[in-house]
Order: sequence, then structure tokens, then C-alpha cells
Amino acid sequence: MPAKKTPMKKTVVTPKKAVKAAPAKPAQKAVAKPAAKKPAPTAKKASKPAAKLEKPAKRPVVKPAAKAVPAKKIVPVAKPAKPQVKPVAVKPMPKPAPKPEPKPVAKAKPVEPKPQPKPQKPTHTTAATASVIPESPLTFPRPKKFQVVAKSKHKLDGIGLVCGIQKYVMDLDLQNPVYVKIMTSPHAHARIKKIDTAEAFKIPGVVAIYTWKDVPRIPHTTAGQGFPEPSPYDTFILDNKVRFVGDRVAIIAADTPEAAQEACRRIKVEYDILPAVFDPEKARDPGAPVIHDEPEAYMPIPTFFDPKHNHCAHMEARVGDVEKGYKDADYVLERKYYPHYAQHCPIEPHCCIGYLDENDRLVLRTSTQVPFHARRITAQALDIPLKKIRVIKPRIGGGFGTKQEVLLEDVVALVTLRTRRPAILELTRPEEFVSSRTRHPMVVTIKAGVKKNGEITALSMKVISNTGAYGSHALTVMCNCGSKVLPLYKAKNVEFIGDTVYTNLPVGGAYRGYGATQAAYGVEALMDECAKAIGMDALEFRKRNHIREGDSSPIFKALGEGREGVDMAIKSCGLPECIEWGAKEIDWKNKRNRPGKGVKRRGIGMAILMQGSSIPEIDMGAVSIKMNDDGSFNMLLGATDLGTGSDTILAQIAAETLGCRHDQLLVYSSDTDMTPFDVGAYASSTTYLSGGAVINTANKVREQILAVASIMPKMQGATDLEAEDGWVYSKSDTDLKVSFAEIATFSLYEKRQFQIAAVGSHISHASPPPFSAHFAEVEVDTETGEVKLVKYAASVDCGTPINPQLAEGQLQGAVVNGISFALTEEYIFDSQGRMLNPNFRYYKIYTANDMPDLKTHLAITYEPTGPYGAKSVSEIGINGPLPALANAIYDAVGVRLVKPPFTAEKILAGIKELKKNGQWK
Amino acid sequence: MLRHLTQFYRPQTVQEACTLLEDKTRKNVPLAGGTYLTQIDDATIDGLVDLKGLQLSSIRADSGGFRIGAMTPVFDVATSTVLTGPAGALLREAAKRIGSTPLRHSITVGGNLVGVFPWSDLPPALLVLEAEVTLANAHRKRTIPLTTLYATRPNDVIERGEIMTEIHVPAMPTGSKNGTAFIKMAKTANDYAIITVATRLTFNGGIISAARIAINAPTRKPTRCRDAEDSLKGKQITPELLAEAGVRAISGIEFTPDFRASKEYRMDVLPVVVRRALEQAAKANA
Amino acid sequence: MKLQLIINGERKSFEIAPQELLLDVLRRNGYKSVKKGCGEGACGACAVLIDGRVRNSCTVFAAHCEGSEVLTTEGLGTPDHPHVLQRSFVDHGATQCGFCNPGSLLAAKALLDRNAEPTEAEVKEALDGNLCRCTGYVKRIEAVLDAAKTLKKHQ
Repeated sequence: MPAKKTPMKKTVVTPKKAVKAAPAKPAQKAVAKPAAKKPAPTAKKASKPAAKLEKPAKRPVVKPAAKAVPAKKIVPVAKPAKPQVKPVAVKPMPKPAPKPEPKPVAKAKPVEPKPQPKPQKPTHTTAATASVIPESPLTFPRPKKFQVVAKSKHKLDGIGLVCGIQKYVMDLDLQNPVYVKIMTSPHAHARIKKIDTAEAFKIPGVVAIYTWKDVPRIPHTTAGQGFPEPSPYDTFILDNKVRFVGDRVAIIAADTPEAAQEACRRIKVEYDILPAVFDPEKARDPGAPVIHDEPEAYMPIPTFFDPKHNHCAHMEARVGDVEKGYKDADYVLERKYYPHYAQHCPIEPHCCIGYLDENDRLVLRTSTQVPFHARRITAQALDIPLKKIRVIKPRIGGGFGTKQEVLLEDVVALVTLRTRRPAILELTRPEEFVSSRTRHPMVVTIKAGVKKNGEITALSMKVISNTGAYGSHALTVMCNCGSKVLPLYKAKNVEFIGDTVYTNLPVGGAYRGYGATQAAYGVEALMDECAKAIGMDALEFRKRNHIREGDSSPIFKALGEGREGVDMAIKSCGLPECIEWGAKEIDWKNKRNRPGKGVKRRGIGMAILMQGSSIPEIDMGAVSIKMNDDGSFNMLLGATDLGTGSDTILAQIAAETLGCRHDQLLVYSSDTDMTPFDVGAYASSTTYLSGGAVINTANKVREQILAVASIMPKMQGATDLEAEDGWVYSKSDTDLKVSFAEIATFSLYEKRQFQIAAVGSHISHASPPPFSAHFAEVEVDTETGEVKLVKYAASVDCGTPINPQLAEGQLQGAVVNGISFALTEEYIFDSQGRMLNPNFRYYKIYTANDMPDLKTHLAITYEPTGPYGAKSVSEIGINGPLPALANAIYDAVGVRLVKPPFTAEKILAGIKELKKNGQWK
Repeated sequence: MLRHLTQFYRPQTVQEACTLLEDKTRKNVPLAGGTYLTQIDDATIDGLVDLKGLQLSSIRADSGGFRIGAMTPVFDVATSTVLTGPAGALLREAAKRIGSTPLRHSITVGGNLVGVFPWSDLPPALLVLEAEVTLANAHRKRTIPLTTLYATRPNDVIERGEIMTEIHVPAMPTGSKNGTAFIKMAKTANDYAIITVATRLTFNGGIISAARIAINAPTRKPTRCRDAEDSLKGKQITPELLAEAGVRAISGIEFTPDFRASKEYRMDVLPVVVRRALEQAAKANA
Repeated sequence: MKLQLIINGERKSFEIAPQELLLDVLRRNGYKSVKKGCGEGACGACAVLIDGRVRNSCTVFAAHCEGSEVLTTEGLGTPDHPHVLQRSFVDHGATQCGFCNPGSLLAAKALLDRNAEPTEAEVKEALDGNLCRCTGYVKRIEAVLDAAKTLKKHQ
């Protein structure tokens, strides 16, 4: 329980109106101090009961009337709710004090009044204007038969990857580059009193050294999220304070990496060491060292932010009355869980190259999941015009969330601009562990009330999330703990209380699963205990209580990602099939609760999961497609392929819509100059959201193709045209047909020439959850505590798997990551907050030779709101192993582990404890 | 990085190599597999003497036992068809558990013995096989028991200008029955060991005539468990006997602190691992 | 100092510093398929074949390779003539981000050169030094076993 009651405690459902305005963004990059800098969070006015979602008017459909011309203006014309434009030059609006609530009125430019005495009708009607702005459909039509999607088409870049010819960031040779090194802090918390670079400059080859005095001091967030980011602006390029071991101290640029290294060794820094706080449960204690005491830090959206008490974020949501629910229960259980630090370990560390092109524009070639956010945030942090920057993402070597962050681009941009030489920055593996981003470790308290008949009367989740020294993703990961886990069970009374705190430790960011991983562990482990308490089989208990097709959950509306959520009903749920398949695969009936009495004991455990697909009403993706002479298409996607294969998936979706083969699409993605906007690869969005944009765009192109075909002499005026496999034909006379190549050539050269092309966008209106069921079989050595994972079965419902082979690959990769997270990965710190094992030799991830027998299965459903029925698949798989293994270990030896990773040492300690208490069977 | 390295030598004979290493005007060090020297940050080493060209990579078996060249990659040991019998099985198992496949192609037998770490896998195996090592300098050779290297530290025993050239595993006495076992406890397949145990039991008519137990990882250096060994000598095998030996194995051990597993855990588990390794070795008597 | 060796069947001569690692020398001479993942011999992204042995090029001094034969993925196959292993990886969906592929493919090749009919356990062991965070390994094990069958058929 937080020591200090935070200002809000109403039994009110969530984040506020004010927040709603957020998505409407003033193009201003100058972000400011909203009045809501005080901890007093925006009033949580009791909102109306969650209304069914129509098309929530999230966009600035402006009602200026709200603060419009007061009625008392003696204007004879009652009509216009709009403020009158007086026939005098309007004083130019003051440079919009960057407020988080854009009053649309403020946008009014200093307009030269037209000489019209009459109340002016706008030159466009509201209706006409609105029709120019595309509406994103709620659902997509379902074809009778899939031609291209739901098939395991080959990955378009696959052959290039296996032949080693695809180029990653560091594979570009530059002329006369400088190598950048970031000097980092050896102390967890200190002020920088003095930096002496004299000795460093004596090293031949050192070109520049920047300290906090040499760089702009503009608070920003590194979180790659939509603007305004729901993360505090608490980061500077360089500061005169360091907040964790590994924090930035200085930037060095040199002719060789060795010179940069040597310079780093010679820079002398005087620190004023401050007391540090490492325990998230103590970070808010009175007297705890204040990590962000700088006056400039603020939260760009009006939500809770109290850095003076290291209290970075807070969120609450309630449905019903949990206290009553607990009173009604036959059993009330509560337990605390401690999901731990972990790193994504992309095999390619963070890297970025910058150079000035021949138009003196800054080009950043970077390993990123969020090119557009990177461009914007780099412009903000350096206070340079956004249009001066081009961000390109080439092939990248994995991200998993750690590259949903603007971590190197600001530094590389700075060095490139100042030295006017290409700049190269690549993190070493230890820097990747310590100074990039991690999973948020948390203290998760789950409480549940159950009746003997299996009904869950109340479910509470309390989260203390440790965001480390900076707050990127601090609020949103914590919210996801509730929003992506609590709806899974039908409980009448639900409560979520989340707090995120600062500590002087490595910084949590976005990591596959994004809060659901940590929270699902707690819930799924406790559900096992609940079942046991009432004497019900754990599988039956889950079957009785999980959400199904047609159901909804009030949590969807109550809890979004830092803001209000979006209501939705479940339109596709293959969880029953997932459970049934998995139970059979692991032989649940015959193996559960049969550990035996041997030295090695076996156990079975399970977990059920949900996630989401995109951030509805907030994130947007866009695509452009143009047709070439030979019937091929250039498809330019903002969407970001991290190796996930999204280029291929989206090509399949385009091909399905256009009526051709998927390799007719020449995909180019993630270049802020060339490709339309897309928020980037996160929140399991790319298939669901960007796929929608692809359909919207390809539909327009298809229309054009059919229109051209219809005027081609060969088609003899036929109008009942259809497109398939690169041909357009008449449905009633299939001999009348013409190829895409012929159509394209005709359109470019022959008659009524124009470029067949279109741009399209999409916003999603729902976040339909994929569902998954995981089953694990373990063998525990009761004399050493070692766990051997014998078998693991995971099934996922991702709607239509656009490419089953790639979907399966996502599931397998996520599961294996989750397994080593549960069993072998850990950050080991010394008492001064320094990580002792920042490398692969001591931080262990699974190898091919550690693999259990892993079986996977795709349960096929159809999600009407998704492109060709698709939902998402990329994140959910990583959430299963932690609870499934915890439950399996309990089944084997009766030890409940709440502090992962589940090492042999901990298991043996648990067994010894049971023996001591006479509970060992 | 070896920041001050100026010379990379490629001698073709042992004498050439040792002469370079003897040179008192420079700091020249021998290069075997390179997995260590490529990783350190050093500003003192002037020259690397690559031992690759000295023809010291070979595995031979004859009536006298095995002779393994010091430059033999441990991968070759792990996959050797020449190393047979209980001694060969022990060596192959130990070599197989070192690092990962690419590392096994780089790490040499000599390197694993001389550049020893608490988690080095070959030393305990070779200790229970009572191996001897040959050290040569530019003028002469000498052969010493492997145990001598670990009585203090290899670099205290190996003189300047000396390199290890060969490892000799003496043949088991004829007519005796021998069983061996190697157990490595680690978190993942390519992890450094948390506990390593090698055992060898020699039987004569059903009685243990000699027992050898060597451990590494919880200890500061590869160690023979003399107390446990003595408790087995001349006895008939029973489960209790082996368990007791496991417990005795802890006595007199210098535990190394290590953030990967606590001392308590290792002390708890070491007797179990020793017992199991003895049980496995005892199967030869069946 | 000068380094002379054979890379992908071609004789090469490079000017190197004595302490340079093979990884860096290869990359700066255009062999970009050799990736740097950790720089400490633990991830396998930099693995190449040196005289038939798969070794992490970040643990090998370039100078040590005088006269050696080195194989990188560029020499394994090209898009118009891919090696059976490369084809198999694509067909089985074993490649996602691709960063670990060059090292993994070479480790697989070294295995098949030595053992034409490996068991699943042998494939897992041969790839134990190639970390992959994307795929979960399942499909690449299948791909290697399948490639072994294909290669055997062609003999």
C-alpha cells in the first residue's frame, strides 16, 4: 500500500476526459509545461458507465462552443456557434503555450478577415470536409476463399537473409566516419561536479567530447510512442546528474573506436555521490533520495506524476465492489509475486549511423522499431526542425521492444551535425544489458475470492512497477498489467491499482508482453491455488471462468494504455480449442497431480492468456501502393519489420486484396521520407493495424485496375470484372481476360494515362485479444533442485494466421524466450546497483541444445474486425512459461515459487523448507 | 584488446617458440586457442607466439595410454574414436561439456589446463586419470604430474620460456576393472559449471582398490578429495559408503564465492553430485 | 603486417594490425555477412569456418589465419545458387530477423560435412553455440535435418 494516499481514490473508473483530447495533437513540437505538472492528477470525474463503443469521437471534432463566445455577446446573429471574425486584424495568437489540451480554437491562425459582412458560411461544409478524411472501417469483408493469406508463403527477404546479402545498420561503409562512444556512470546516483577532458583530448584521433554543458537541455522521453507520449519527459541528452550505473556522462567522437575507448578512460569526472534507492517497495518512503529532482521534468499528458516522491505513475480502475465480493466468497486467497529484470537480448545490439546527405539533411540509419517517433523525438531533443531529419530502418537484428525507444539517435544526430562527419554508434553487449532497456521488474499482488462452485467473486490486482531511473513506458506497461490480463476471467468485481516508481537501477522499457507477462504470472499462479482451495481441477476451473466469444469485459473500457480504454465485445475466441489441444498434448488427465515418490518427480502446469491487437483509436498506420508496367507493385509501408516478417505478411494481405501473387509486391518499408506514416512495431499492431491500412489502400488500387481493364478494347466492355492471380477477367465470360501487366502498360502508355496508385491509412477501433493456452511438463530433481523441462505445448488463437509458418515461428520464439526468462535469466546486482553479469557468458538464454520437446498449434478463428480475420500473435506467447512452469513445479514438488527465475537453488530451498515443516510428501 | 602488441610470431618448432618466450627484453606470451587473449584488455603484452605451427595437435593411443598434444582442440578429444575405455569415455564426456561447439574448436587441451578457471572441465577429469604433462623449453623437456600444476598455480610452476607440449594419460593397470564418471552441473547447455565432479574407481575382485575424486567450480582450483578417496579404499561398495564419501568430499575444500550460486547451495549439492558420480563409476563393477 | 589466406576459395592479401580480430578484418574487407553480436565468443553470430572448423571469429586473431581457408556465408551460396541449407532455412521458415543465420548456417554446414546423417540431438549440439532470440530453434533443427536428407539424396 502506498504510504501516502494518492490524491485520487474515488471508486471511479479511470482516466479522464482530458486525456481523451490527447490524441489530437498540435503539430507543435515545443512541448510544454502543462498546468498539470502538479501531482494532482486530473480530476477523475466519475464517468458514465462505459457506453458501448460507437465511433468514439477521439478526433478533434471540435466543439468550440465549450469555451466559445459567451452567449452574452450581443451578436444579432444567433447562428454561428463559432466565434465571429471581426473585421480587424486579429491579434496573432500567442505562440500556443504548449498545453496538453489543444483547444482547437487556438489553432485558428491569424486570419485575414474576408470582406463579408454576412456571417460567413465556411467554404466547405463540415460534411464535405469530413468526407475527405478517411473513415477506417470497423470490419472488413470476408472472402469466400483465401487465395494468398492463410498460406505459408515464402518470406520475401528470406533468401537474401540466408545468403548474407541483406544489409543491417552496420553493414554500410562510410567515408571518414567518426566513432562514437558514450561514457557511462559508475555510480548509481550522483551529481557531476566537474568533467575534465584535457587528458582525453591529447589522444590522437579524438575529434570531440560533449558534456552536459555542450548539449541542449530539453526534457523528453525516449519512449517510442504516439505524441503526446504517455511517458514523462524526464530525460536529457546529457545531464549534470547520473541516476543509475550505466547512465550517460559524456559523448566522445573519435577517428577510431580504439581512440574513443582510450579517451573514455582518460576523462576525469568528479562526482558528488548521493544515496541511492534500489528497492521499489521503499522508493516512495519519506526521506528516500529523490531521483528526479530537476524542475524541468513533467508529464506531457495530464495524468499522475509525482517525481518528488519517486512516484512516476499511478492508475486505478474498478468494476463493482471487490470488498463485497470478498465477503461473498468461500475462500479468499492473496499472494505477492516478483517478476524480475530481464533483457530482450536481440542478437544485434542497438546501433545507429548518421550522415549528412547532399542536401545537408541529416540521415539516421538506425536499428529501430519506431522510425517516425525516432524522427520526431530526435528533432525535439535537439531542437531542430523535423524536416531536417530522415530516418531509415534497414534490416534489423531483432528488437522485442527494446528498440521501441529513441536511445542512440539523439547522440548520433548531435555528433553528425556538429562534426559534419558520418557518425557510428554501436552498443557493446554489456552496454546493451545495462544502458539500453529492460523488462520492468514488479511486485504484483493478486487477490481473489472464490466460491465452492468455482465462481470468482472478486479479483484484485495491485502492481508496483519498477521503472528504474527513467520513466519510459512507466505508465503504459503498468496499465497493461490490468488491461491485458484482468478481462480474461469473468469476475463481477474487479479492482486494479497500479503504481510505478523510480529507482536507481537500469531502465525498464517496452518488452514483448509489456506488463501482461508480469501480471499473467501472478493471476495464473493464483488461479491454480484457487482451484486447489475449492478442490476443483485447475483446468476445469479455468474453463468455467474464462471469457468467451460474445462476452465483453468492463475492463476493456476502464483501462487502456495510460488512458481510457476502448469497449469491445469478443468476436473471436479460440481459447477452448487451445485448452483442449494442449491438455491432450500434455496428457493432463493422466499426468496432473501424479508426481510419484522418486528422486525425480514430474509435474504438469498450465496457463491461459490473452493480449491485444494494436492500440485502438490512437495508433495509425498508412501505406502507399503504385503499379509498374509489368504488373508488379511498389508497396511503401511505414510499418516496421523487425525480422518478424511483416513485409511478407502485408504483401500477402495486399496480394489477397489486389488479386495477385504475394511476390508481385515489392516492399519497401520504414523510411520517413519515402513511406507513409506508421506508429511502428509495437503493441502487436502490425498485422492488425497496418494490415487494415494495406486493405484500405489496395482496395483503391484494385478499383483503379478494374476500371482500366473495363476500358481496354480486349475486354469488350465487360463490367462484371474480377481480379485473381494477376489477371482480371469477366465473371460471365472467363475468356475475356487481361493480365495485370497489360493493364499497367495500358494505363501508363496507351489511353487516358495515369499512375495506378493510392495511399491509405487505418486506425483500429478495437483491440481484439489473441488467446493462448500453455502446458508444461517438468521433472524436478529433489536432491539438487534442478528442473528439466521435458515438454511444452502452446496453442494460440490469432484469428486467421496470415502466414501460418511465420505465425508458428512467432509463437515458438516467444515461448522459448519466456522459458529461459522463467528458468535461467536474471540480473544480478551488487549492493551499489552495478550489474555483475552483463554478458551472454553469465546471463543465460536458451540455446538449441536446451530445447524441450516443444509442440505448437494454431487454433483458427475469424476476427471480423481484423484484416482477413487476423488478430495478433507476436507478444502473447512469451507470457505463458512463467506461470505454466511455476504451476508445474508446484505440481511436481509442492513448492510455490514467487521469485523467478526458478533456479535449482530456489527449488531446493523450497523443498528443504517443506521438509522442515513436515509437509514434504 | 592487446593495445601494445607489435609482433605476431609464427614459429615452426618448439625451440623457436620457446626462444621467443624466453626473451627477457619483451613480454611475449604463447597463443593457443585465443579465446582468452582476444578478450582481455591489456597494455603490457608485446608479442604473441602462435603455437599453431608446432605440430602439437594429435591424439595417440598405445599400450602406455593416451598421448594428447597440448594444441589439440577439445572438440577433437570429444569426438575421438581413439580414446576408448573408461579413461577415454571420461575424457570425451568432459571435453564435450566445454562451452559450445565453436568454442570447442578453439579451446585447446593445453589451454584448458594452463589457463585454468574454476569452471574448467578437463582438469578434474585428467586429475583422476593421474595425467602427466610435458613442459618444454628451448633446451629440454620435463614431465610432471598434473597435480603439481594445481598445488599452487600453473603460472607459478611453468617457467618463463616453457610451454606445455603433451599430456600423457597412463594406461589403467592391466587386469583391473575401472569405472569413470563426469558430471557437470550448469544452468544451460553452454554455461560455465556450478559444480564439476570427475570420479574413477578401480576394482579388484569386487573391492575398491583405488578411488579418485576430483572437483572444480565450487573450489578455488581443481582439487582431489583425498579424504573421500581414503574412505573408499579397500571397501566393498554400498549405497551408504558412497553417500558418506560424498559428504566427506566437502571437507577441506576452499570454496570460491561466485555470484552464480551460493556457497550454501553448493555445499548442499556437492555431496549429491559426488555420490552420483561414484554410483555411475561403480557400474563398471557390475 | 600482411595476412594471406583463402576466403571462399579466393586468395586474398590484407594489411592488418597484429592484434586485429578476424571478425573485424573480414567485415572491413566487405564480408558483411559475418556479424558482431557480442564480441566475446558467446553468441555465434560471427562464426565462420576456418579450415573446416566452425569458430567464433571474434575469438580468433586474424594473423592466426595465415594460410588458412576461411568460409563465410557469401561463399556458401547466393540467391541464384543457394546452398541446400540456405534453401532449407527459407522453406522451413527458420529465418526471421536473419542476424544469426550466417553463423548458424556455417555451423550446420560444418556438421553435415562431418556427419551426413545427424540425429536431432546431434543437430542441437552442433548449433549449441548459435544463439537465436527470434525463432525458438524448432524450425532450424527441422531445416538442418531436412537438408541432410536432401544432400544425401543428391549423392
